[in-house]
Amino acid sequence: MILLPLIFYIVAAITYAVAFAQRSDTVGRWATSTLVGGTLTHTFVIGMQTMQVGHLPIVGTTGAVSIFVYLLAVAYLYTETMTNERAMGVFIVPLMALLQAIPTATDTVASRPPVLDSPWFAVHVSSLLAAYASFALASVIGLTYVLLFKELKAKHLGFFYARLPSLQVLDVMNGRAITVGWMFLTIGLSVGVIWLIQVQTSTLDPRVQAMSFFDPKISIMAVIWLVYSFAIYARRSIGWSGRRTAVLSAIGFMIVLLNFLPIGYFVTRSHNFY
Amino acid sequence: MHFFLLGASHHSAPIDLREQIDFTRRGLSEALETLSQFPDVGEAVILSTCNRSEIYIACEAPQRMRETVSSFMSTFHDMPDAKLKPHLYYRIDADVARHLFRVTSGLDSLVVGEPQILGQVKEAFSIASEQHYTGTFLSRLFDWSFTAGKRVRTETGLGEGAVSVSYAAVSLAKKIFGDLSPLSVLVLGAGEMAELTVNHLRSQRVKRIAVANRTAAHASNLAAKINGVSVAWDKITNELPKVDIVVTATGSTRPIISKKDIETAMHPRRDRPLFIIDIGVPRDVDATSGEMEQVFLYNIDDLRSIVQENLARRQAQVDLGELLVDAEVKKFMNWVNSRAAIPTVVALRKKFDGIRLEELDRLDTKLTGLSPETRKKIEEITRLLVEKLLSSPTEHLKATTNEQTVTAYTDALNELFDLKNQDTTSKKDAADTTTDDTKTTSLRGREN
Repeated sequence: MILLPLIFYIVAAITYAVAFAQRSDTVGRWATSTLVGGTLTHTFVIGMQTMQVGHLPIVGTTGAVSIFVYLLAVAYLYTETMTNERAMGVFIVPLMALLQAIPTATDTVASRPPVLDSPWFAVHVSSLLAAYASFALASVIGLTYVLLFKELKAKHLGFFYARLPSLQVLDVMNGRAITVGWMFLTIGLSVGVIWLIQVQTSTLDPRVQAMSFFDPKISIMAVIWLVYSFAIYARRSIGWSGRRTAVLSAIGFMIVLLNFLPIGYFVTRSHNFY
Repeated sequence: MHFFLLGASHHSAPIDLREQIDFTRRGLSEALETLSQFPDVGEAVILSTCNRSEIYIACEAPQRMRETVSSFMSTFHDMPDAKLKPHLYYRIDADVARHLFRVTSGLDSLVVGEPQILGQVKEAFSIASEQHYTGTFLSRLFDWSFTAGKRVRTETGLGEGAVSVSYAAVSLAKKIFGDLSPLSVLVLGAGEMAELTVNHLRSQRVKRIAVANRTAAHASNLAAKINGVSVAWDKITNELPKVDIVVTATGSTRPIISKKDIETAMHPRRDRPLFIIDIGVPRDVDATSGEMEQVFLYNIDDLRSIVQENLARRQAQVDLGELLVDAEVKKFMNWVNSRAAIPTVVALRKKFDGIRLEELDRLDTKLTGLSPETRKKIEEITRLLVEKLLSSPTEHLKATTNEQTVTAYTDALNELFDLKNQDTTSKKDAADTTTDDTKTTSLRGREN
């Protein structure tokens, strides 16, 4: 059962690629349906895991990756429905398939240690994962913006010119995804700080005690918040848009991925709950 | 029933001749009415555009049509037969379908893949149809041609990419800005190219168009024509920061807009893109302006090369388009062939029903002792018996699409059941009784 979402995501990634290359609406609709199928089976898997451990499977990086992929699928499907634009799928769905391989390969759900038994924790993790999903979308939209921008500047109108929406549409979508992501990020971080203040004095758990600004996971998260805050400030106050914010969102998401996976798995001493 | 086509197009006739045989000059209705007076003309549609004048006919004897229709054309347009005939082409049956499908898909157009022709064919068919000059066969042929045309355009890149400089400019603007309606445009120059490009932009409902020209009166004239505003020539630099698209098409020998002008204009705009379409020769805008981050500068050569690339791309799709047309012609001819068996089916049923009624008549005296209800039941049983006996061969014949097989089957049935004697009547009946899917109205049927 755990394999099903991954299979759906892989098939959807291939179908999105075919639809993109052939510019076929029919194949595109199949791609969307397959992704919806993947998201539904993923919902089921998450539901089963929740019943198994008695809480959302968000403890530890592996569980978090699965929820992140799920939220990314939902966010992408929402964007596709709202804009009727399928071109981004070819970039975003392979990322989902790639990341979903991690929880599928491990196939274990970490149970929650008593210290995490708080609603604040659930809000903290869910908000941050939603923020990551938005940033992933923003970076892919930014990437497509840059590809189209380069074709237009080089006056060589080819593959992407025929397949992507206008620069303006991509720019607006990028801006919205960053704003939504930043809001989730801010909520997630604020809730995390509140929760930490509550538990730090009442527990001797070394992981909680290690939670300080100097823990790499936390300090890099502060950098991420600064990058995206600057992206929003630059767009609103300096008048940045287009390629500059697109590049910024791609850099931002690279740092997010770095913090989420290698640092989350191997470096942090505070956030290793698995 | 057969299909016949006679016509002339940009492939076969020069423009002065095409102008003389344009049916729209006197009206398609009059032409259709005159054509309908000719014997043997079943159904008819006349397609008349600036690039082609074609007459599509459904009839029983297409070989006789060539002379009839060509003399109709020369008489109607008051032109010597000898002058017209060398420029005319004709097609019969599958070749008519192939020709029409190529026309609707844009494969036969002057600019391959141009979209207007599909609408023009639809209109020609609609005029003939509204006035009842079409019936089952031409209706099906034209409906099929619309589907085939759309299929070719959808499944190939035949209709994609701008193939004129002004349209290429608008397509680029759409790719940069998306919706053009909130945008402002500045036009420098009031010549033909400027007007053409700005008209394309206007059709996208841009918010404001400002026109500037060295001769202020020309600017005012063009502004009035396109519902824009005229701007003094020395105020151009003040306009630049406010607009999103600049079209320059002046005859100036030196650049009118320098890089510094653009830099000054871009400062308050920050990252808001500026699209400059410089179609002046020599160029009106300093070419290095395009190096700026959000300035998209396209000159006439850039636009022409886009057009050339698009044309080449369309040309590369022609073979695929032809294959799709062939597939559609094959399917269509299968339908036509399946229709060929219908007169035989009708004659066969008529024959069987005749025998049934004859036998009931013959037995009438022996059945006199029976009640009316029982007699009715017997009649019903005989009817159902005939129905069941004929059900399988009827379905089989209708489903047969191979022309030779249909001929073999119908010949055998005609011979075995001696249907030839009632052939004439059955064909007429076929037209009246077997139109399960479409209407059947022949021209002469209409006149009757």
